[in-house]
This record gives sequence, structure tokens and C-alpha cells, in this order.
Amino acid sequence: MVGFPDDLLYSREHTWVRVDGNMATIGITDYAQEELGEIYSVEIPHIDTFIEQDEPFGTVESSKTIAELISPVSGDVVSVNEDLFDDVGILNSDFYNTGWLIVVAITDPSELDNLLDSMGYADYIEEGEGDR
Amino acid sequence: MEEWRYLSFNQCDAFENMAIDEAIFRENQRRKMSPTLRFYGWTNPSISLGYFQDVKNEVNLEFCRDKNIHIVRRLTGGKAVLHEKDLTYSVVAQEKNPLFPPGLLGTYKVINGCIALGLAKLGINADLAQESRSAESLYLQAFCFSTPSQYELLVNGRKICGSAQMRSKGVFLQHGSLLMDFDPQHIYSAMGKSTGDITKEISNLEKQVTSIYKHIDPKINYTELCQLLASGFEEYLGIRLVKGRLTREEGILKEHLLKYKYMSSNWNMEGKAVEWRSKES
Repeated sequence: MVGFPDDLLYSREHTWVRVDGNMATIGITDYAQEELGEIYSVEIPHIDTFIEQDEPFGTVESSKTIAELISPVSGDVVSVNEDLFDDVGILNSDFYNTGWLIVVAITDPSELDNLLDSMGYADYIEEGEGDR
Repeated sequence: MEEWRYLSFNQCDAFENMAIDEAIFRENQRRKMSPTLRFYGWTNPSISLGYFQDVKNEVNLEFCRDKNIHIVRRLTGGKAVLHEKDLTYSVVAQEKNPLFPPGLLGTYKVINGCIALGLAKLGINADLAQESRSAESLYLQAFCFSTPSQYELLVNGRKICGSAQMRSKGVFLQHGSLLMDFDPQHIYSAMGKSTGDITKEISNLEKQVTSIYKHIDPKINYTELCQLLASGFEEYLGIRLVKGRLTREEGILKEHLLKYKYMSSNWNMEGKAVEWRSKES
């Protein structure tokens, strides 16, 4: 595994967030893509869609399962990664960079307090996602 | 001993079947309920499509219209299934239930282990596939039973039960289809438009798929089969199944999902339950 870069925040639903002012770029973590296996398809919202923290905002299908993507923050979608529609494989190969999913204009910055830093997320994974 | 809710065998149409399963799944997300095992049949021959499948590429719509075969899109992934002579099950449970090992494939392994134990009571020895296999026929790649995945059930190397999952917010829904009987000609006709050598395609399919009625005589009915499979779950997992019914909240949600999602051609044909969703293809 590549691991969990220090400059990102992480949700317990295995998405990462790169915060720049009030903009949040969202993707899936190394742990998520590793667990999912080869990803075949992705479904993400249109620009201008409002998405809510802890609610589904999209779906991925892999060789093992379908999984809903759960949003780490609330806000309006301002950009979607159209490269995914040409090559969804970047979700497996470059998940922290070119394999980002969407950019959201955050409506409530205090929600970021609910996310984990890289060390906290690594501990969360290490503990078997909490309480298994 | 852990108790699971058991929704014993009943038959509904394709749309209600899928609405019931999603209602159970969503309510478990909200309320963290104990697991549910459900067995069911289909009042009408039906094709269930995987979440991401493109109906125009996977199904012969004209044939289905002529034969009054209903088409519904599942919440789970995977490939298309013709529900005509099968028994379908659904399991909804919390991912962190200690009965299921960590990892996404663990639930397939455990649930198919339960089914295999039930089949053993019938004298059918089913094994878990140790690795995924590719479909021999391009034409039938969209058909669930053409390609066994790891931990799916095989009898003498032929697939007898296909399964697929959806996971979200700590809960999984697993669908499975166990073949009672198998009509390769009908499946071939319903899935896509033929351009190849039909005899060869059907022969390939017959080499890869089997069904309960190919292995036992006298033929068992659905109720008897469900009893054996249910006891397979109880013994394999060390649980007790308690007969139950949908909760009031599940019933209300089922009606809502039926009306606004599963009866909608927008969802079944286009895969769009809500307007913001966009597909990869």
C-alpha cells in the first residue's frame, strides 16, 4: 500500500479530502481501493449538486462488490473528474492524484473536525475499522 | 446464540422483490438491526440486471416483451440473471458482525458455505470456487452464471449459485440465485442478440452451469429446499433463525421505493434513480 499522505484528511468511510480554502477535493483512500480490488465503474454527481456529510454521493463497482461513496463533507459540487469516464483504472493506480473524484465548495468548515488526520486514520484501519 | 430474522419463502413480482430488499438494507443502515435472511421467488419470469449494466447491450428487449419477461435493475452489482427456475435469497447484515471475516470476499465465503451445507443435506456436494474464471463466450459475458467468481458455488466445476453485493455505511446486502432448473435455450434467447453459432454457445453454457434438478430425483419443492438451506445457515453459523416480517418502517419504505424507483423505467432501463446521478457509460 502507498499509505496515507500527511497533507490530507480522512473519513471513516474511506474517502480522503484535500482542503484548499473553502474547496475540498475528494477521493478514495489507498485502503479503499485495495479492499475493493479492480474497479470497473464509477458513478459521481453532476456539477451544482448539493451533497451532505455522511450521505452517499456516488457508487463504485469493483471485481468484488458495489459500494456507495459516502461524502466526508457537505457542499456544492463544483468540479467532477471527467478523466474517470475515459479510464476508471486511475482509481486503482493514482488514487491520491489524477484519480480524484469531485471538488466541493464546503458549506460548513466545522464538519472537517469530524475527519481524521493521517495518523488517526492509520490507527483506525489498524484497529480493524473500530470495533470489529 | 445470535438470532437472525428469517423471512420465509414468498413470491412477489420483480419490482416488489427489489423494493423489499432495499428497504431492509436501508433500515439496517439507520437502525443497526440484527441480520435478515430472506428466500423468495418471482411471480413472473424476470431478468434482474446488475447495478451498472446497460440494458440495451445485455438483454434482448424484443424477446422479453414478447414473452412478458419483466426487467428490473438490482441494487447489487454483478451480471444479469433470468429468474424463472431459481430460488433467490438475500442477506442483509452489519459488516462488522463477527460471524463474517474481514475483507469483502469473506461474506461470499461464509454465505456460500451456508448454502453448500444446505445442499449437502440434499446429497449435492457443492464446492467454493477458488478463483474467478472468464466467460468462454463473449455473447454470454453479461449472464451471471457464465463466469464463476471466487467463493461462488460449483458442483463438479459447474456454477449452481451466483451472488452479488452492495455495501454502504457499514451494512451489506448480498443477493444470490440458486438454480432449480436450467433452460440454456431460453437464457440464450433472452440475453442480447445472437450473432454467433447458437449450438456452440448453448453447448458452452451447458458445460459451465448446472442446477439442483440435474442432481436429485424426486424433485424437491421450494418450501422443502428453503427449510434445508435455512438449517444450513443455522448449523454453519451457529445461529437461530426466527421467523419474522417486515417492520412498519420497512413496509413504508418498500412502498416508496416501489413507486418511485423500482416501478420506474428511469431506474430499470437507464439506471437513474435520482436525477443527479451520472453513469460512466
